[in-house]
Amino acid sequence: MNDKNIMESHMGTTAIKISARDVQVYYGDNHAIKDVSIDIEDKTVTAFIGPSGCGKSTFLRCLNRMNDTIDICNVTGSIRIDDEDIYDRRVDPVQLRAKVGMVFQKPNPFPKSIYDNVAYGPRIHGLAQNKADLDEIVERALRRGAIWNEVKDRLQSPGTGLSGGQQQRLCIARAVATEPEVLLMDEPCSALDPIATAQVEELIDELRQSFSVVIVTHSMQQAARVSQKTAFFHLGNMVEYGETGQIFTTPQDPRTESYITGRIG
Amino acid sequence: MTDAIQKTEKKKSSLLQLDARTRTRNAAETRFKAYGMIAIAFGLLMLSILVFNIVTRGAGAYQQTFVALEVELLAGKLDEKGDRNLDDIKKVSTFGYTPLLSNALEAKVAELEIETDLKAKKMVGILSKSAAAQVRDYALNNPNQIGETVGFEFLASSRVDGYLKGRVSRDSIGNDKNISPAQLDLADALKAEGSLAKRFNMSFITGSDASDARPEAAGMGTSMIGSFFMMLVVLVLALPIGVAASIYLEEFAPKNWITDIIEVNISNLAAVPSIVFGILGLAVFINYMYLPNSAPLVGGLVLTLMTLPTIIISTRASLKAVPPSIRDAALGVGASKMQSVFHHVLPLAAPGILTGTIIGLAQALGETAPLLLIGMVGFIASNPPDSIATGLLSPNSAMPAQIYEWAKRADPAFYERAWGGIIILLVFLVTMNTVAVILRRRFERRW
Repeated sequence: MNDKNIMESHMGTTAIKISARDVQVYYGDNHAIKDVSIDIEDKTVTAFIGPSGCGKSTFLRCLNRMNDTIDICNVTGSIRIDDEDIYDRRVDPVQLRAKVGMVFQKPNPFPKSIYDNVAYGPRIHGLAQNKADLDEIVERALRRGAIWNEVKDRLQSPGTGLSGGQQQRLCIARAVATEPEVLLMDEPCSALDPIATAQVEELIDELRQSFSVVIVTHSMQQAARVSQKTAFFHLGNMVEYGETGQIFTTPQDPRTESYITGRIG
Repeated sequence: MTDAIQKTEKKKSSLLQLDARTRTRNAAETRFKAYGMIAIAFGLLMLSILVFNIVTRGAGAYQQTFVALEVELLAGKLDEKGDRNLDDIKKVSTFGYTPLLSNALEAKVAELEIETDLKAKKMVGILSKSAAAQVRDYALNNPNQIGETVGFEFLASSRVDGYLKGRVSRDSIGNDKNISPAQLDLADALKAEGSLAKRFNMSFITGSDASDARPEAAGMGTSMIGSFFMMLVVLVLALPIGVAASIYLEEFAPKNWITDIIEVNISNLAAVPSIVFGILGLAVFINYMYLPNSAPLVGGLVLTLMTLPTIIISTRASLKAVPPSIRDAALGVGASKMQSVFHHVLPLAAPGILTGTIIGLAQALGETAPLLLIGMVGFIASNPPDSIATGLLSPNSAMPAQIYEWAKRADPAFYERAWGGIIILLVFLVTMNTVAVILRRRFERRW
């Protein structure tokens, strides 16, 4: 009942893409995420900020069930994408992950050619009928990853030979190649220098046209630059969630204020 | 106040002068480096002594003394009826051929005008006992040549061979019934005329084992084939089973006490003495499953059991070495667990898996103890197998088993062949290990 009201109140502005209710995550006995409820909007960049170990990455990994790979991890509560419970027993996490792409903290291209890196997802999901199709998908993905101009002449050279920033944009291109609806980014710029960071941030802003982007970041400046909505996590709780501008200028919760002003974290 | 001043004065020291502590530390470091160098030098010394010994003692096996003779294949002895019927020719045993050899030697002695008081029958003693069989084989294969004079190269007897190699001397044969000084004189004379000489002996590498009486004819070839078939069985069974087990344990199996127990036991299995696997093979494969004795198939099965833990351990180590970020990346684009393993993890782990497999195979190749118990050690002088099935099922030996067999025979001529066999075995092992190192160097990835 209550959930419905909240959803309806947001419907007016933008559609809700992901809706989480009372999510609890346990690593063995460790209660890592406590009672998190959040509505993430479509075609919006949502930033998760908070000090180290506050659970923001853990929560992010719940959204595409990457936590399933950790044996001792246990998730309860409900997370719905387009009103479908992703923790329903009928959901195959593999299918979910095709819909919810992910970019990791450390650039992790496959030790294969740039082309094969991007083509891998479309190949295993059967998105291309023939070689020409696949070429087109790869080119489109690399263009959306803002790396096409740098690599178009050397698609067959190994992806691991690129610079760190290029590798990360290649990983983003790889993630968008499978046409996901949501893109999760786990501190995508923490291993990059400022110039590469600026390029990736610009890219994130463009990706907002097509996807709902959720980004975990350590850098509050980054959150302020790229996101429209910000959620502040502290000790496993989601303390505050709102418009980015409002969070950074007039935080409601004293903990948010302390973090933003640099007193904790 | 004065104390403080004194202290600061004490602390003041020059960088150009080593203080006592630094000097002791440096001395300890120098000593440690020296110990390390001594240890390595000792190891290298031992290795070179080993290699030197093996080569000097084993090289003789690759040289053999041959006697060139013109033998007249007397039709009257070999084919009395004169119709060249193969069945009739077969009835003449090798004993029937010995007179041909003595005639040939007598003729040679007469031709070269060698003075000797040996009877023709005794002269044959300088030839290998395999000589008559060699002539007989020739006659059976070429019956139309009967009645002609044909040139042969016979192996000299092991005593004459030893005499040429310096192993046998006139003093050492005092009580030897197999050779007399007069026969050595004959050998000397023939050598001087050039019809008796040492040369490279291919049949040591290609031939099969021979009986106690003719060490000069024994070779490694058949046991190499036995080893080859065993390695084939090991490769075909141990690689897929080992890799599948490791992938399951490393990537799919839940981490609980059952998998912990399995893991501990695999490590323990790697340390089980190989003879235990031998007796297991005897009990299960031969006594219970009635697989044939002495067959390379059984040997291969036993060695598979022995090699599996090695392969599993090295495969798991190389799977573990693949960074988790690659698995995350694959899962992140929606690959299933199996796709992430087979498309990404396994290709990256492949060089490590191959290296482990080759090293496991090399270990199995040199293994003797389990073969003792399944009957692959002993006098097994079989012919080269004519098909894969007979190769797997007919009795055979293996290289290390053959070496052991030779080493335990009394005749010093076999002792030389044991060392020669070790050279072949070592060449195989060094080659395999080199291939493993090259593979690792070549395909290893750095992250």
